[in-house]
Amino acid sequence: MSSPFPLLRLPRLVLFDVFKSLSIGEKIKLSFCSKKVSTQINNARLYSQKVNVQLNCLRQKISVYTENYKNSFEISIYSDSWRSHNSNTDQFSIACCTARVISISKGVQICWKNHQEGFLYVTQHLLKMFQCTISTKSHCYGSDFFHPTISMLFDRQVEFKRLTICLNGSKDQSLFWNQISSNFGLVEYFRIESVADPAFIPVFNSWPQKIYIIRSDWFTLESLLACTCTTITLWDSLLGTKDLDVILRKWKAGGFANLEWMKIQSRNIENNETTILGMNLMELRGMVIQTDDGSKKATINTDYGRIEMSVISI
Amino acid sequence: MTSPASSSEVKYLIESSEGNTFDVSGAALRQSNTFNAMFLNIGADGPIPFTDYNEATLKKVFEYCEHSVNEENYSGPKHQDDLSKWDLNFFNEMDQKMFIDVINASNFLDIERLTSYCCERIARMLRGKNTQEMIKVITLPTAEELEAKQKVEEKKAAAAKKVAEKAAETAEKTETLEELPVQQLVQTTRNKLTRKYLSFSNE
Repeated sequence: MSSPFPLLRLPRLVLFDVFKSLSIGEKIKLSFCSKKVSTQINNARLYSQKVNVQLNCLRQKISVYTENYKNSFEISIYSDSWRSHNSNTDQFSIACCTARVISISKGVQICWKNHQEGFLYVTQHLLKMFQCTISTKSHCYGSDFFHPTISMLFDRQVEFKRLTICLNGSKDQSLFWNQISSNFGLVEYFRIESVADPAFIPVFNSWPQKIYIIRSDWFTLESLLACTCTTITLWDSLLGTKDLDVILRKWKAGGFANLEWMKIQSRNIENNETTILGMNLMELRGMVIQTDDGSKKATINTDYGRIEMSVISI
Repeated sequence: MTSPASSSEVKYLIESSEGNTFDVSGAALRQSNTFNAMFLNIGADGPIPFTDYNEATLKKVFEYCEHSVNEENYSGPKHQDDLSKWDLNFFNEMDQKMFIDVINASNFLDIERLTSYCCERIARMLRGKNTQEMIKVITLPTAEELEAKQKVEEKKAAAAKKVAEKAAETAEKTETLEELPVQQLVQTTRNKLTRKYLSFSNE
C-alpha cells in the first residue's frame, strides 16, 4: 500500500478507532495535518483517551500525559522571533492559525507570534481533541498569562486536577478570585501559596475536593467550619487550641461529612489548660475518637503546634 | 437431505452487489454483530442481501471469519505485532482498494476483531512519523470528495435499512410459529433455510 491512504474517507467509527489506536503525540501531530483532519479528531473527542494537561506558564510548556504516565508528549511555545538550529521546521494549521512546528524527540516546538496567544490557542486545541483534566505547575502563577489562561479554562468549565495560585495583590486578583471561587466544584486539588494583600480576605463560594494552604493566617475558624473538602491542610494558621475543640466537637456531631484527612499547623496550638474534647493537646495524641452516631472513627495525632486527624469509616 | 447435526454446520446464503450468492457457515456469520442483531434468532428467508459490497470483498471478509471461528473469544484490540502469520498474510495480500473495501464491509457487518485489526494496521502507517511525514502517508480529501463520502454513508444507511426490513419481513413470516419455544423456532427456521440452500445447490 504505497500510494497515499485516504484516511478521511474511512467510515466515522473506523476513523475514531484509528485515532484511539494512536498515542497522544501521534494524535497531536496528526491534528496539525489539516483543518479537516483536526475536525475529525475533535469529533472523536468523547471516544478518545482521558489525558492530563499540565500547564507550565512560566516556561511556556504544555505536557500531555495519560493517568498512568505511560504515554506523554510535550509542547513548547516559542515566540516567532525565535530561530531554532533545527532545520526540520514546517508550517501547519493549528487552532485556525498558521504556525511553524519543529518536531523534537519527545514532542514539538511551536512558534507563535506571541507566547500568551500561542499558549491559549494550543491549550484550546488540546481541549477540543482530548477529554482533559488540567494541572498547573507549581509557581507558574507568576507568569503574565497565568490569569488569562486559567480564566479561559474556567469559562470553558474544564476540570482541574491540580490548581496552584498565589494572590499577589494585583488589581485584578479580586475578579480572578471570584471566578475561581465560584468554580471550585471543578477542582480536585487546590493550593494557595500565599495571600500578599492583608486587606484581601478570600471568601469561598464553593469548595474544591482537597485544599492545601501554605500561609493560612487569613483562613478563619468560620471558613473552616463551612469547608466541605475531603482533605484539608493548613500551614501557618492562626487557629488555636480552643478552635480545635470547636472543630472536633462539630466533627463528632456529624459535621465535616466529607472529611478524610486534616492537618493544621499553628503557633497557637499549645499544650496548656485549654482542653480539646476534655483533654489537653498531649493527652489527645494517638487517641481514636468516634462520631456520636458511631458511624466514623478518627485517629488523632498531635504535637506542639500541630494536629493531624485521619478519618476511618466504620 | 438431513438436518445439520450442529448449528455451526448451518450454511447461509449471502448475496453480493453483483447479485451473486455464496454460502457462509453460521459460525463465521455469527462473528458479525449486524447479522446477530438481525437474523440470528429468526433466520433468513432466502439469501441475505449484503448488496452494497461486491463478492470479492464479502468473500475476503468471510474468509477471515471462517479462519477465526476456532480462535478464542475476541477480547479487545490486539497489537499488530501479536498478529499470527496467517493474519499478516491475509492483510499483506490485499491491495489498498481491497483493504478499504474490507474495512467498509467489516464496519457494516460489525465484525469487531477484523475491524480492530484493520484500524491497528492504519495506525501503524502513522506511527513514529512527524506531521510532514504523516501528510505524505495520507491523502487529504477535497470538499467534493468529502461530499461524496457523505453520500456513500447515506447510501449505506439506506442499505442497512433494506437489510433490517428484510429481517422484519422474515420475522413476520415466522410469526405463525410463535407458539413454538424459541430454540425450536430457531431450529425450524434453520432447517428451512438449509433445505432451501440444498435445493438451490442442486439446481
